[in-house]
Amino acid sequence: MKKRVFLSAALAALSLPVMLLSGCSKNADGSGKIEIRMLQYKPEAVAAFEKMEQRFNETHDDIHLTIESPNEAMTVLKTRLIKEDYPDIVGIGGDINYSNFLDAGLFEDLSDFELLPEIKSSYMQIEKDLEFIPQDGIYALPYAANCAGILYNKDIFDKYDLEIPHTWSEFTELCEKIQEDTNIYPLYFGYKDTWTTLAPWNALAVGLSPSDTCAQVNAGNTTFSVEYSEVAEKIKALLEYAEPNPYAYSYNDACTAFARGESAMYPIGSYAVPQIIQTNPDINIDSFPFPANENESDNVLNSGVDLQFSIMKGCKNKEAAYEVLKFLYEDETIQIYLDDQNAVPCKNGDFTLPSMLDGMKDYIENDRMSDFHDHHYPSEMSVDAIIQTYLMDNSENARETFLTRFDNEWKRYNRDLIEKVRKYEEEKQ
Amino acid sequence: MSGTDITKTKKPAKIKKDNHINIPLTIVLFIGCLTVIFPLYMTVIIALKSPAEMTNDAMGALSFPKTFSLDNFAEAMRVTNFGTSLLNSVIITGATILLALIIHSMAGYAIGRAMTRHKSFKFIYFYIVSGMFVPFAILMMPLVKQTAILGIDNMFGVIILYVVFYMPMNIMLYSGYLKNIPLAMEEAASIDGASTWRTYWTIIFPMMKPMHATVAVLTALGTWNDVMTPLVIMSGSENTTLPLAQLNFQTQFGTNYNLAFASYLLALIPILIFYIFCQKQIIGGIANGAVKG
Amino acid sequence: MKHKLSSRTKTYIVMILPALILFVAFNTIPLITGAFYSFTNYRGYGSYEFVGLRNYIDLFQDARVGQSYLFTFKYAIAGTVLVNLISLLLAMGLNSKIKAKGFLRGMYFVPNVLGGLVVGYIFSFLFTYIIPTLGNALNIEFLKNSILASEDWAWVGVLIVGVWQSVAMNTIIYISGLQTIPADIYEASSIDGANKWQTFTKLTLPMLVPFLSINLVLSTKNMLMVFDQIVSLTKGGPSQSTESISYLIYRNGMDGGQFGFQSANAVLFFVVIVTISVIQMKMTSKKEEQL
Repeated sequence: MKKRVFLSAALAALSLPVMLLSGCSKNADGSGKIEIRMLQYKPEAVAAFEKMEQRFNETHDDIHLTIESPNEAMTVLKTRLIKEDYPDIVGIGGDINYSNFLDAGLFEDLSDFELLPEIKSSYMQIEKDLEFIPQDGIYALPYAANCAGILYNKDIFDKYDLEIPHTWSEFTELCEKIQEDTNIYPLYFGYKDTWTTLAPWNALAVGLSPSDTCAQVNAGNTTFSVEYSEVAEKIKALLEYAEPNPYAYSYNDACTAFARGESAMYPIGSYAVPQIIQTNPDINIDSFPFPANENESDNVLNSGVDLQFSIMKGCKNKEAAYEVLKFLYEDETIQIYLDDQNAVPCKNGDFTLPSMLDGMKDYIENDRMSDFHDHHYPSEMSVDAIIQTYLMDNSENARETFLTRFDNEWKRYNRDLIEKVRKYEEEKQ
Repeated sequence: MSGTDITKTKKPAKIKKDNHINIPLTIVLFIGCLTVIFPLYMTVIIALKSPAEMTNDAMGALSFPKTFSLDNFAEAMRVTNFGTSLLNSVIITGATILLALIIHSMAGYAIGRAMTRHKSFKFIYFYIVSGMFVPFAILMMPLVKQTAILGIDNMFGVIILYVVFYMPMNIMLYSGYLKNIPLAMEEAASIDGASTWRTYWTIIFPMMKPMHATVAVLTALGTWNDVMTPLVIMSGSENTTLPLAQLNFQTQFGTNYNLAFASYLLALIPILIFYIFCQKQIIGGIANGAVKG
Repeated sequence: MKHKLSSRTKTYIVMILPALILFVAFNTIPLITGAFYSFTNYRGYGSYEFVGLRNYIDLFQDARVGQSYLFTFKYAIAGTVLVNLISLLLAMGLNSKIKAKGFLRGMYFVPNVLGGLVVGYIFSFLFTYIIPTLGNALNIEFLKNSILASEDWAWVGVLIVGVWQSVAMNTIIYISGLQTIPADIYEASSIDGANKWQTFTKLTLPMLVPFLSINLVLSTKNMLMVFDQIVSLTKGGPSQSTESISYLIYRNGMDGGQFGFQSANAVLFFVVIVTISVIQMKMTSKKEEQL
């Protein structure tokens, strides 16, 4: 044991001069400019961010901005956290990772950011809902959103004179009509990649259960067995309209199949469009929200924050970071991003939406949107795999087994969180 | 058979050696080789195609591309910044091998020879070899922190970590190999007055050449394609290795397999050449030397 | 350490020192740090609390962990046997007098260097499209569906690829082992009139025992720690039937927020494998002594 103590002491001693050196070099680029470092997690948007970075640096004399867009950015970000080498600004997704980071106290309060009123309130609410324990203050600025529902092949719809469904029965009738009239599959799934099960799952869940389901379960007010019963029933019903044995095909296979016209519809998010176009650049894609209900007015579009910005604790110059954020929220800058990424802006204003979201436009403009439920699921619980297991389970009481499992595992994986929420509620009273 | 007859008459000294080529065995090995050639063929075909030519049936990966072009390879080289990434990968793998050959062979030799007499060496042997079974995931976070504190969260740190990761296997290989090298030679040298240190470097080290080649190949195999270590350790630096650069082809919601495959084929070539070079060193090394010496 | 060490032993100590220092610094110390976290609810960042033995108690009640142990051991046993059998035969084949030796040796080496993305895609393609096409053409029921989509058989799919990839490495070790056998001995034995089988069992095999034991340990290790093939082929599916222990530790420990819990899993796994391999090494070293 002594040896180990000695060794670690020796290692620490060795590292001291190195740390001092690196400590000095950080601000010593000589220009006297304030350096702002940003890390964003979408490597596919690297081109847009390079453009933004260049533009910012051309127009600002006092601040120098560096934007990093590494591959496997979440892993990279986590290693940075371990090294305590925090970027000033992070651009991440509005999902459970954000909730965890926030819970770990990593972010600065942004309540005094002047552009807050210009950001769409529904997305601000989505950010609020991601907080495990309701926080005073604002910790994330939604920037761009994506939507999920059903992508459809316009040419096939035109050719067979198919109409966009607005209710669940219209949808099932449409699927049956496609099965009868054509040799095309109505739907295609890539369930070999388990995460794709979450696409129809989320799209159904937003329509069939309240947006704060997870929080309500954590507070002990309801159970998933109650809230998700219909979602579970309907996601299984979809299997009849898809290719046989969808567990053999990957996300990529499904994208290829849809791109080549093997199916008329594809229940997935707008994020899949670039992959589809890669295989078939001529395809005419549009989309519509999942018609989960019998009543059109109950349907809700599944939309969540795909990119949001936060300032990290320990940022030395918050004013400069605000300058950067202000620049990022300029309409022109946002349009650069939208054009590159087929995204939905989170800021109010007159932006050109990508054409494949035409069918969702009404919902977006009228704020009829609700966040992906899986943004609240702990990733280690692997809800996607649980759903896949349920879909493959052909026994009679499959749905009960699944819902009971969902409730039980939820309690286990969220044990610390549920405890935290309970304590918070107690203190509040 | 006539070939052997001629040998018999012309070179009677070699009469005992069985020099004829085993044709049936060659055929069997070629047939077995199809299990490699077939997937490799698919890889090449996909690397030559464009995404639009990919279909969801057997032909998608088997039929020839409509036009033959090396565009994917050129594009893959551009995206991965091939020259720099390749150089970094070569430096990391090369330095790891060099250090492994020196540090591991030395330790493997000392442990292999001393373990029969000293219990403590036997303990060290098991201690190091058991390190093989530590899942990387548990070491990862502590290592990220440790390398950052030491200021070696860079290529140098990655090399050091590889030297440690492959230590259990390599020490096991070296000390295992020693069992087939007779002690006689070292004893003769020590009677002549040479120190153990000197004997090792002048006699034993060169004799382990086939094992050096084996260790070099196996270590290179492990380091060449490794993504995780450089990803988490060098996460702060601009430097990139080939496997890191290849992550460019994969994003969360899409993968360009055609470009990626071209790039993987390019990455395959240097290591294959290295392997073939090492193979020559493995063959026909120690056997004769040990017995004749 | 009062008694005097011989100068030879001193040299041995100097020789292992660099390796030992590096090993302690970059394996043992981080391992101890990691083991420390196994008593906490650490997420990998931020603050954490001590939870005592909770993670260890949970381990034994977690069906998913249990399932991953079952899968891993089933896979490792089958894989170790297959890999060693195939690679020993292959090594002897590649070490004989054959045509195109360099080409063949190079070819058999390729599987080990193809990256995970390529291997995953190619074999998924084979299992999903090519083999079912064959199954339909030949009307063989079993081949008509992708085995990767079957809860009962997906592990065999992973195993095929795992063996395909690891044979190369073990073959290289066997080849270098075969090289330590002096050619003279074979000549002597052929003069004595021994047949091929006798030469193999009486001569080749005993000389190969050190390499056999190395290969057994290495392939057991590789198979028990199966990770890459899972990531590229099934990602643990279908129905979580192919989640290996390493995969679970990585996925939930690093990607998910279970670093503390999965560290406990890693510690348990480490203890289990070390126990197994100590037994394995004890057995093979007894064999070596007998010979």
